[in-house]
Amino acid sequence: MTACARITCLVLLLVTIVPSMLFSQNDYLRVTAPGNRQLRLAIALPTPSAGSQDPKMAGEISDLLAFDLDMTGIFQVVPQGVPDADLVLKTSYSASAEKLILEYRLVEVQTGREVVAKRYSAARQDLRRTGHTFADDIVFSMTGERSCFTSKLAFVSTATGNKEIYLMDWDGFNVRRLTSNGSINLNPDFSPSGRELIYTSYKRGNPDLYRRELFTGSEARISSSSGINITGAYAPDGNRIALAMSKDGNSEIYLISKEGKQLARLTRNPAIDLSPAWSPDGRYIAFVSDRLGKPQLFVMDADGSTPRRLTTSGAYNVSPRWSPKGDKIAYCRQYGARFQIHLINPDGSEDRQVTFDGSNEHPRWSPDGRFIVFSSKRGGAEALYVMRADGSAQTKISRTGSAQSHPAWSTRF
Amino acid sequence: MSRNFSGVLTALAMTMLVFSGCAKDQVKPDQGMTQPPAKSGPVAEQPAVKPEIKPAAPVAEPLKEQQVKDDVSAGLARPAAQESDSQSAEAARRALARIYFDFDSYALSQTARDTLYTNAEYLLKKYKGKVRLEGHCDERGSDEYNLALGENRAKTAMNYLITLGVPTEQLSIVSYGKERPLDPGHDENAWAKNRRVEFDVVK
Repeated sequence: MTACARITCLVLLLVTIVPSMLFSQNDYLRVTAPGNRQLRLAIALPTPSAGSQDPKMAGEISDLLAFDLDMTGIFQVVPQGVPDADLVLKTSYSASAEKLILEYRLVEVQTGREVVAKRYSAARQDLRRTGHTFADDIVFSMTGERSCFTSKLAFVSTATGNKEIYLMDWDGFNVRRLTSNGSINLNPDFSPSGRELIYTSYKRGNPDLYRRELFTGSEARISSSSGINITGAYAPDGNRIALAMSKDGNSEIYLISKEGKQLARLTRNPAIDLSPAWSPDGRYIAFVSDRLGKPQLFVMDADGSTPRRLTTSGAYNVSPRWSPKGDKIAYCRQYGARFQIHLINPDGSEDRQVTFDGSNEHPRWSPDGRFIVFSSKRGGAEALYVMRADGSAQTKISRTGSAQSHPAWSTRF
Repeated sequence: MSRNFSGVLTALAMTMLVFSGCAKDQVKPDQGMTQPPAKSGPVAEQPAVKPEIKPAAPVAEPLKEQQVKDDVSAGLARPAAQESDSQSAEAARRALARIYFDFDSYALSQTARDTLYTNAEYLLKKYKGKVRLEGHCDERGSDEYNLALGENRAKTAMNYLITLGVPTEQLSIVSYGKERPLDPGHDENAWAKNRRVEFDVVK
């Protein structure tokens, strides 16, 4: 397949799932379990609505739904037939070589009431995407908020022997290589629309910043100043990028337009300043600076004024990322030769460690703020894990033996 | 129904967007992405001939005796003018020794200064081509911070060479952070080797 055809497929994949409501529902229904426990959800084995049984497809659908819904923490997925389930999810499918029709009904066990039901027709190869759309509908019907199951992760992998950028689904499936330039590629970051990705690449020798349009594949080198052009981060407006450059002596944070025009210099300090992270309202930027000796987190106004220290404990704190709701900043603290992920409030209060096993780096929030993806060496080779925002349910999503690191999380497609 | 209709519209719009995008901008292949030249052959840990004096002062007078010894030891007794470019580049690559740093530091140790002194002499007298200083770190820091630290190491070394009289135009730098360790180990021994600045001859 040509690259263009691949991209066309990707986009078709994103748009050809046409939902039709089986059950008209204007307001979402809150179903709560007694005693504030998780809702027990039984996922019935998907059955064919027409045609023959396809056990492989049935298994794939139910595994996918179980993963998505269990990860949310709203549900506790229980085996089918457990007598005290609160909800049962019934799915049926009918598939030809090209087409796929999937239908589901979420039923409250006690009353027999249908909470939500939908039918989707899609291309056969969009099975997983359709399943994630189901799961997203179900979370929406229960909470009134969409989740991130149809979003993508960008990450760095050494599968080819050098660091290239890849894309995959949030649960680690559908891995697709994005760069193939044989050099070192680092620090992917999605634009707020999810349609563009910036990253640093050594493909022309120097660590320069590139911007790629994911759907057209067209790419531009947008920052190639002498020295480093690294840790680029899109502003929430999608038009500006904060990044670290060393062209004026040492690593400082600058603001450029997404076309690469320099707009402002935000830090002026003989120390190293880098890794900018925007607050979701675009008013503040958290960053790393070793102006007091070791790398620590600071927060400044988005015009570079009034920098103040954020972290006051820990000798070495890096990689800040602001949550989409603005209430937390995730970052990494060094403990000996290992890193652990912490969460802290933007005012510096409630600093809390959330990973403990192995060395864990590069935290990035899901677009709905429910989850954090990070890279971990707990299992040997570096791999990607997802956890809930409170640190629970740390789950490996990498499904290959090749090292995966440096995730970035797109918005929902 | 209206929901379906708007869904179809969105699908159409997005599909059109893709096709127009493809027609206009063919995917630009990633090109010119050569890996930085691999280090061929062993790179000397130490200069072949250690300088007998170790001043941090600018180099002025030629050290003739030592130059002859260098030439002999490198098997290059012929006059420099007859040497092919690639031979002299290869000799420079072997002769320009790397320097090492303490953890999370880009300060030059006395040993590093001595090595840079020797390298400066070589660049002033024997090799006038361009060289690139590559800054590297050990694996312990964060990869992002290490890119800036490696940059500072390379820049400090380059500035020292400039104070020794090496022309600025001859020198450039690049930081690899912790991306290209010399020793893949995970102990103090390996880390010490990896906190370094290397010299590469630019073709």
